[in-house]
Amino acid sequence: MKTRSWIAVFAAAFIVFAGLALLLPRIGRGTVANVYRENERIWSVDLSKVEEPFEVTFDDGEGHVNIVEVEPGRIRVREANCPDGVCVKTGWISRGVTPIVCMPAKLVIRIDSGGDTEGFDAVTGGAG
Amino acid sequence: MNVKRLTVLAVLTAAALAIYVIEAQIPPLAPIPGIKLGLANVITLWALWQLGPRDSALILLARILLGSLFGGSAAALIYSLAGGAACFLCSWAVKKALTEKQIWVMGVIGAIAHNAGQLIAASAVMKSAYVWAYAPVLGASGIATGVFTGLIAGLIYRRMKDAKVLKGI
Amino acid sequence: MAATALVLAAVLLGAGCTDAPAVKRVFAMDTYMSLKVYDGNGLSEAGAYIERLDGLLSATDEESEISALMNSKGAPVKVSEETFDLLSRALELSETLGDSFELTLRPVSKAWGFTTGKYRIPADEELSGLLELVDDGRVELDETEKTVTLPEGMMLDLGAVAKGYAADGAAKILKEHGTKAGLLDLGSSTILAFGSKPDGSKWKIALRNSTSAESFVGTIELDEGAVSTSGGYERCFYGEDGETYWHIIDPETGRPARTGVSSVTVVTESALYGDALSTALFVMGPDEAELLWRERGDFEYLMILEDGRLLISAGLDGIFAPHGSFEQAEKDVIR
Repeated sequence: MKTRSWIAVFAAAFIVFAGLALLLPRIGRGTVANVYRENERIWSVDLSKVEEPFEVTFDDGEGHVNIVEVEPGRIRVREANCPDGVCVKTGWISRGVTPIVCMPAKLVIRIDSGGDTEGFDAVTGGAG
Repeated sequence: MNVKRLTVLAVLTAAALAIYVIEAQIPPLAPIPGIKLGLANVITLWALWQLGPRDSALILLARILLGSLFGGSAAALIYSLAGGAACFLCSWAVKKALTEKQIWVMGVIGAIAHNAGQLIAASAVMKSAYVWAYAPVLGASGIATGVFTGLIAGLIYRRMKDAKVLKGI
Repeated sequence: MAATALVLAAVLLGAGCTDAPAVKRVFAMDTYMSLKVYDGNGLSEAGAYIERLDGLLSATDEESEISALMNSKGAPVKVSEETFDLLSRALELSETLGDSFELTLRPVSKAWGFTTGKYRIPADEELSGLLELVDDGRVELDETEKTVTLPEGMMLDLGAVAKGYAADGAAKILKEHGTKAGLLDLGSSTILAFGSKPDGSKWKIALRNSTSAESFVGTIELDEGAVSTSGGYERCFYGEDGETYWHIIDPETGRPARTGVSSVTVVTESALYGDALSTALFVMGPDEAELLWRERGDFEYLMILEDGRLLISAGLDGIFAPHGSFEQAEKDVIR
């Protein structure tokens, strides 16, 4: 195929993609909760797109199990087999300012984008 | 496979790894683990033309495996493999239709295929279709980076294909 | 070629160079830390420093210097500069804060199960026996040899102060590397903020009074400083008698400190001082805390009492804004 044609095809495709990306207002850029194991992101969910509550189980294969519950706009650890259950006591989060942390499992749930943080820089009040 | 060819493959793998690691410092365009611009594809593309599909695939596979050992995780490995496989297969498929001056086209096809592969893997792993909302942004950036990596790969290939250093491999 | 340059520029610029903060997250000192810097350098050095400190000070790490001390059977142990520095400062603070702050409480914490998660209520005789091992005054430091001597049977737990020390040290490193502003969140019981944010606004630290993530009771607005909180609701268990037993122990009785305090938040310049104070004030209770505040004048604090009242020192009152239902709480300002 002639180079000219390729350029035409890609230019058109680019315009379509870019247009879609810009025009479709903040699709998918809602409140995203990320789950990290040892600071590696292993799972994500867009809380603003959740319609039905559901659960996800995280098992690190070394005996640490955390059962995470996701509802529209919020997420929590419902159950875990860690000794002190701090992650469960933390409860629901819907904003980016406080993460849910399970130290023994090195599991962290954080809302990194979207979500109204009310401009807090940090939260004090230990969680153990 | 002679020693010289093996050495060239090793050097290219190292180069691809280096690009991959540096590229990993750029903030991701989408919240999908392992989403990358795909700049290391310069190497894959060039190798496809200069060395052939088998060696290009070898370098790609080595780079992906080593890359996830060094800095990634099991999750990133899946996405890299999916993206890499898609990119390689589509690039190879379209090669017949292209001339040496059109290597940049392969860059674009490869980049789009790479991103599509990652999206497919992501939607399977996360069991949700929401990742496809990022398709337009990844499509556009795929075209952009594809042009870039493709042009560079093409330039290097055309300039170096008769070079003395590549004789006898 | 021009096309290439344009594309390259678009890709790289689009990838985002903003004055967004750089964040490093670390698991250390039995907690999850976020080091956030604006316009900064030295993040990896600061992170490495904290991890090194953790390796030296952790009471649960067999290879740490603290563990070496506890296994030393009373012989002097040479320690690294940081450990010595922290110990000498912490022991000094222990003297200043008197009976409400002890670094050698670990045998007692262990008896309650706070170190293992297997909670139990020790008997009175057991506690009085263990209390014999609680006495910071018997820890000896040799300045010249840089050795520490811990009498046999005694245990050291720097958990209460290690984070504060780490925060101060990390901030120093960041500043030495030219960082203009940063917020070090060392597990939310210890927070250190320095410099001003790019938009000039003050640091807003939310305060919560339970383990529940988003139950904020108020906000503190700071220019700079260290914020430390000690709360009974962290690490507690419920006894069969219906009582709540928490990990903040009164060194005199060996039992959870019960002075009617639910949580204490201290704002001061050094995070090490703040950490020690928040624990000590919790143990002291409202009246003694007030006395210390008048005497020292180098910190501000607030206490949330079990009966729902809020005690807040004058300096902190101006920068603390209550939230939600806490706005109705009865407030006593200490002047």
